[in-house]
Amino acid sequence: MKNIIFVFSFFAIMTLVYTPTFAQKTTYDKVEVQVDGLGCPFCAYGLEKKFKELKGIKKVRIDMETGLMQFNYPSGKMIDVETIENQVDKAGYTPVTTRITRNSGEVVTSERVEEIHEAVVLENVEATSFKVRGNCSMCKARIEKAATSLAGVGTAVWEAETQLIQLEYDPELIDLSDIHKAIAKAGHDTKKANAPDEVYDNLPPCCLYQRN
Amino acid sequence: MKSKIIVNFIFFVTALMMYLGCTQNPKWTYVRAINFEKVTPLGIVKDGNLLWVSDSDNNEVIKTDLNGNIIETHKDFERPMHIVMDNGKLFIPEYSADTITIMTGNKRSHLALKNKLDAPAGIDVKGDAYAIADFYNHRIVYHANGEDLTFGKKGKVNGAFHYPTDIQFANNMIYIADAYNNRIQVFDEKGKFKQSIGNEDGMNAATGIYVNDQFIFVTDFENSRVLIYDLAGQLLQILDNQLDKPTDVILDDDKIYVTNYKGKSISVFEYKK
Repeated sequence: MKNIIFVFSFFAIMTLVYTPTFAQKTTYDKVEVQVDGLGCPFCAYGLEKKFKELKGIKKVRIDMETGLMQFNYPSGKMIDVETIENQVDKAGYTPVTTRITRNSGEVVTSERVEEIHEAVVLENVEATSFKVRGNCSMCKARIEKAATSLAGVGTAVWEAETQLIQLEYDPELIDLSDIHKAIAKAGHDTKKANAPDEVYDNLPPCCLYQRN
Repeated sequence: MKSKIIVNFIFFVTALMMYLGCTQNPKWTYVRAINFEKVTPLGIVKDGNLLWVSDSDNNEVIKTDLNGNIIETHKDFERPMHIVMDNGKLFIPEYSADTITIMTGNKRSHLALKNKLDAPAGIDVKGDAYAIADFYNHRIVYHANGEDLTFGKKGKVNGAFHYPTDIQFANNMIYIADAYNNRIQVFDEKGKFKQSIGNEDGMNAATGIYVNDQFIFVTDFENSRVLIYDLAGQLLQILDNQLDKPTDVILDDDKIYVTNYKGKSISVFEYKK
């Protein structure tokens, strides 16, 4: 009888020690990234698939209609906007805005970065155009962002049909060759600069334009 | 004067007949669209008078009549792609789950595979044989006569792939939409390269394929076109109207059905003899 009571007590204590109420429950931050240029389902689902492989990530979902990518990420890792946007960039996509809603209720967005960029005023605007190699709407978003991210560039519009980018820029703030280089660095060959092979190779499938 | 008028008239009629003869050369003409409100069609297969359609955006597979009235909706797939029906079974490659689901009625099971897939985009089945377009591995996973093999690797040369998306057995060959090499590749049933088609035709993402004993149809996604070839690889016709980012094509009873991924519709073209 004593043995039975001992065994019962032992298991009762062990159950209490290892009960889930003592285990720390994982909480998640909710992340929303507005992605530009989604068009090809094979690539978009590929991005979703690759994100699912990140440790700890949950509920990854891309809405092709709205371009909204959503996922949950462990709060303890305190993921920031820059890390997320770098990851999206690395996967070949172009983040427009990012919003993190922390488990605590705090909201972090990418808007502050955009305000700084918008504050640059162009005084000597010149218009120009040149050829940039690309294929699709994802290329368009990436090429235009590579150009407009530069201080000294106002507008940039690229069309797949003509392969031309139409630019407004201030030559006193930026040299045209630097715009070529920035676009090439993003993965797209121009007349004056070629994309590094490793960047080109990492573009999403539908962006792999025929190289000369 | 009279004879001059007659000669001119004969010349005019002859020229008109020649013109009509030329314009009649393309045989496939647009008939109508099957429109959906919420379905984003990617893959398609005919089942009697009905169509099965994979809706990858909504993770569903639907059964619809030829007017777009949805009869059945099957949910909870993980990005279903190019589907195929064999012997009453629907084979559904799930791109995000790296599996092939077999749906018989409402029952689901998985195809047992020896090779691990990374984003299966298309499958075809013939008896005990199956072949799968293994998108991110740039290869074909092939099972026939009790043996498992793979063929192809990433590249641009004949026999290599750059993201294969769709596949079909026909004419004792295996036809593959080699999406981002912008071509169709043909292999024999041992997996040996035989032919490359469409290299010079300006395709921008060859996403879907259908082959019968006369024609090869391929969807040209970014250009919103369907290209039609004979089996020797001769380009016969280009369909470029009423298409909006097409992903798949099937032929049934002298009609082709093309899924418009962006257009949320299926375009129907008819063969005029």
